[in-house]
Amino acid sequence: MSETHAPAPRPHSGPPREGGREGGRPGGGPGGPGGGPRRGKRQFFRKKKVCRFCVEKIDFIDYKRVEMLQPFLQDRGKVLPRRMTGTCSRHQRWLGVAIKRARNIALLPFATEL
Amino acid sequence: MEERLYDLIFICMPTTAEEDIAKIIATLEQVVTERGAKVEKLEKWGTRKLAYRVSKQREGYFVYMSLRSTQGELIKELERRLKVTDAVIKYMTIRLDEEIKRQQKLAARREQRTRRRPRRAGGTPAPGAGPAPAPSPSQGEPSAAAG
Repeated sequence: MSETHAPAPRPHSGPPREGGREGGRPGGGPGGPGGGPRRGKRQFFRKKKVCRFCVEKIDFIDYKRVEMLQPFLQDRGKVLPRRMTGTCSRHQRWLGVAIKRARNIALLPFATEL
Repeated sequence: MEERLYDLIFICMPTTAEEDIAKIIATLEQVVTERGAKVEKLEKWGTRKLAYRVSKQREGYFVYMSLRSTQGELIKELERRLKVTDAVIKYMTIRLDEEIKRQQKLAARREQRTRRRPRRAGGTPAPGAGPAPAPSPSQGEPSAAAG
């Protein structure tokens, strides 16, 4: 298996969130020293799942469908990072665009009080 | 100019009467047809809770329209009208034709891919039915699907 990084294992644990060594699954790599998200906002385990949108083959993330976007927001209304949701980079970008559109039209909040 | 696809959403005060809303919609539709454009879809989502306060209101009456037009100035005119209307508290226009085109292209490409390659015994055609479980199709695909 060819590696994108140097073949020798690095003294400190591998670059965070780069999936080059794990066969490429983004978001599920052994990120960060100490293993696991520190100060996990919601979950204390990593989602090793694949990107939900890739699995369902969704090409267009509709900003009008709030129920689809809601699971990707925190309680405070912030967008969840990719490593929490297991989304691939492309869909994360589209997701961000859709969420921001929905926020502009008051379908989703910008920020909520805890 | 080619035809463009727009999404127009606007929110009225929840206290607006049905007939006033109908009047606003009728005005907009008239402007649209005057310029030779088409209203593809018109949906009234009714009163919904807003995610944040707009013009001191917590709810609003949502109306959604989908338009096809070749003229860009049409949108300017529609927005001007909405801006002047007192009952409308928020509006947003989005141009969608590029996205729809890209979506169709991706869907077509994916279909081509699954048709060309024999399906794995796993059953459902895997989204990245390539040699390796490559994460993002955009990386590996240009070489493979170039034909």
